[in-house]
Amino acid sequence: MNGTLAAALGVLATLVASATAAQPFATPPPVAAPRPVVIAAPVVQTLGNGLRVIVAQRKGTPLVTALLVVRSGTEADPAALSGLADLTATLLTKGTATLSAPQIAEAAEALGGMLESGAGWDRSYVSITVTRPQLARALELVAEVTRRPRFAGAELERARKLAIDGLAVALAQPGTLSQLAATRAAFGASTYGHPAHGTPASLARMRRADVVLLHARLYRPDNAALIFVGDIDPADARALAQATFGRWPRPAASRPPSAVTAAAPVVRAPVAIAMTGAGQAGVAFAAPTIARSAPDYYPGVVANTLLGAGYSSRLNQEIRIKRGLSYGVGSAVDARRDGGVFRVSAQTKNESAPEVVRVMLDEIARVAAAPAAVDELEARKLAIIGAVSRRFETTEDLAGTIASLEANGVDVAELTRAIGRIAAVTPADVQTFAKAHWPVSALQIVVAGEAAQFVDALRVAHPDVVLIPQKDIDLERAALSRGAK
Amino acid sequence: MFARLLVALLLVAGGAVSAAPAAPPKLDVPPLEFRERVLGNGLRVVTLEDHASPTVSVQVWYDVGGKDDPAGRSGFAHLFEHLMFKSTRYLKPEQFDRMTEDVGGMNNASTGDDTTNYFEVVPSNHLERLLWAEAERLSNLNVDDAAFRSERSVVQEEYRERVLASPYGRLHEALARRSYTEHPYRRGVIGNIDELNAASLDDVRAFHRTYYRPDNAILIVTGDFDQKEVDAWIDRYFDPIPRPPMAIPRVTVVEPPRVRAAHFRETGPNVPLPAVAITWLAPSARSADAPALQVAAALLGNGESARMNQALVYRAQIAQSASFDVDLRVDNGLLIASAIAARRSTPATLARALRKEIDRLAQSPVPAAELAKVKTQLLTHALIERQTPLGKGMALGDAIVSLGDARRVNEELAQLQAVTAADVQRVLRTYVLDAPEVTIEYTQQAAAASGKDGTKP
Repeated sequence: MNGTLAAALGVLATLVASATAAQPFATPPPVAAPRPVVIAAPVVQTLGNGLRVIVAQRKGTPLVTALLVVRSGTEADPAALSGLADLTATLLTKGTATLSAPQIAEAAEALGGMLESGAGWDRSYVSITVTRPQLARALELVAEVTRRPRFAGAELERARKLAIDGLAVALAQPGTLSQLAATRAAFGASTYGHPAHGTPASLARMRRADVVLLHARLYRPDNAALIFVGDIDPADARALAQATFGRWPRPAASRPPSAVTAAAPVVRAPVAIAMTGAGQAGVAFAAPTIARSAPDYYPGVVANTLLGAGYSSRLNQEIRIKRGLSYGVGSAVDARRDGGVFRVSAQTKNESAPEVVRVMLDEIARVAAAPAAVDELEARKLAIIGAVSRRFETTEDLAGTIASLEANGVDVAELTRAIGRIAAVTPADVQTFAKAHWPVSALQIVVAGEAAQFVDALRVAHPDVVLIPQKDIDLERAALSRGAK
Repeated sequence: MFARLLVALLLVAGGAVSAAPAAPPKLDVPPLEFRERVLGNGLRVVTLEDHASPTVSVQVWYDVGGKDDPAGRSGFAHLFEHLMFKSTRYLKPEQFDRMTEDVGGMNNASTGDDTTNYFEVVPSNHLERLLWAEAERLSNLNVDDAAFRSERSVVQEEYRERVLASPYGRLHEALARRSYTEHPYRRGVIGNIDELNAASLDDVRAFHRTYYRPDNAILIVTGDFDQKEVDAWIDRYFDPIPRPPMAIPRVTVVEPPRVRAAHFRETGPNVPLPAVAITWLAPSARSADAPALQVAAALLGNGESARMNQALVYRAQIAQSASFDVDLRVDNGLLIASAIAARRSTPATLARALRKEIDRLAQSPVPAAELAKVKTQLLTHALIERQTPLGKGMALGDAIVSLGDARRVNEELAQLQAVTAADVQRVLRTYVLDAPEVTIEYTQQAAAASGKDGTKP
């Protein structure tokens, strides 16, 4: 009886104890020895016509991503035709000499994949991901649309209307509008200022001849690479590439030179865009920054990770975690082949926009003002190393990463060196980068939202704010406004 | 982050043509070779070894979601999810980020109508610490008032970003509210500003006590580990957590069958192009009809060649995008046909065209090649999703939560492949043609009303 009671009490005592302190240990267990991420360099071969064939073989899953990247894109848009490279790439899959647009979509999707095409800065692409048994037929489609697009007038009209409607939706979002406006104002009339997807007016100006000419000039084997990632070896990849792209003729004329013009260093007043009924304000900063080839590219990557990339960046710590002002804030050092864009952006309730502007400016200045503590910087370096490593995990992500290196003119073997180069960046390197490239005075500030709720407060710190109604915004002009010079 | 609800609807979808390529070569998706066990305290554990990369994914799925929000506290389960990254007895606020992001990993979480999941990917040498940390926040959550208030503001900004600032956010938000009459699904997951403001720290403690317990959780570990080692760690950190004696409250409300069609008009202050959504009640994800509905949805909405895209966007050029989604849930889900207008077309025109495509699929012969196409798409999609430890774990978690059994992860694909054209037509007749629909038209509000906050559901 006693024994039973004692046993029962013992059980009870155990339950009470575990209910308040179930965890057996008050500190995290130790970390085991690391297993480093190992990345093999992709194999690069070149066909007789100059087409580079790049293979990253991965066994285990019977999938292959095939990606044809042309090393020219949005930067090649003529001045009055913003969005032409993107429209051209979109039209590739909308009809060829032998297949209609619906037939192309149906053929690709019957293989299990989705034939995607588009253009960005320094690149245009066609890609598909399929299972290995479908690869040969998928690649025939990639070659067909790349080499023999029909650019039918009816398809151009369809794509134009869809693009104009798509812009109407995108520009109704305060975040998107503020970022496009900030970039346009920061770069003025120079190449990287224009919107990649065009404007309603630039799309209306495009003619079939413009599309045909852009395709003829830029889509050529010596200006392209065919990337395979997945369950395929380099010999099979080369044979498939030869069969589908081997007879793609290399034009006699030399490749067109880069058309990129340098950003004019114009400092402009902050802009407020009045959007009636906007549920939040979009806050965006933009400024010209380094090219991908700059010697301080990796310090820039780490500086950006410290400032605004990842959940625990300084901007997210200050604006989201400490102050609860935004669901997420971020920055980017978007380093391209012939220059780059530094961007910072967030969405916040309208009345908080001035505070978000202030904290962003303070945090950008703080990176330049003092070196980061070693512990803080080591954590941020591991954060970006992890993010880079995760881009190697799927065939689509790795193909996209290789395509970016190609577009930027970087040796694809950089994949094997990137982690070491990030690891080597020091606090002094980061501070030096920020001092050289992030003067607060160079930033174009744009806030788009219900302006009545923030413009007066914004003017306390920035008396020269220019207020523009949404309906007057014209992204074709560096001054952003219709009627303005 | 309440991501899942928003991704499906109103994306550009695809359509179908009759030209028939030869049937593609057959390829099977290799089964996920997982192990499953249940601890003495009721915690379900699923593990799957995969040494492709030196990383491991840890996921904990809780059987609680937006449908379990307390009365007057819409959005609470999702707010609570955010608070699980704050302090516990032995973890500082955001220490999860120190243990994941700061060592080269990542973490996130999402709240759906039925479930809440927390997931991390870390270098595999950090696995034991993550198991410790997940056991810790399951056992000893201890949020302070300052963190609670700050994170509630973040969630309110998330609401503004998704619902108020996004041109079609109000339409997404209206879907559940207009589609359900009784079931708590009608409140949606994101909630509203007022009910989030009403939440208190006491609510947080009560919710943790009620739902965050080992017999209401599933631990899923996938990736680079040693089976014996991981089993021992799981026993060490999770086995001591007591199973509380009280029962777990469950939603027992059953959505009554719809008796009549309904029509609603919603507006927003910044709607560049009108839109329409039509919904029907779907059976449970666990219904035998679920695979046929998924194939029907793929025929109508999956890819550029899908029927909705071909008919409305490509041929008629009345829509900027058109789609059909099957949002299957543990209880009644939704079938959702939706479109955003091209210039000059109206919601009524879009609704008619969407209906016409569904009727045609239900009543006219379905080409064999088209059926083969969507089956190949669904298989390929599964392979793409399952390339990473995170993706494998997600597939397992979905199978357990939505389908009730981890083994369904390996049966579901075979069931999709077995669907016939007659199955597709039968389920469309049952759940769409013979069922009342709810139509929601969405347009720009009149100028005088703009500027209103619009936070009331």
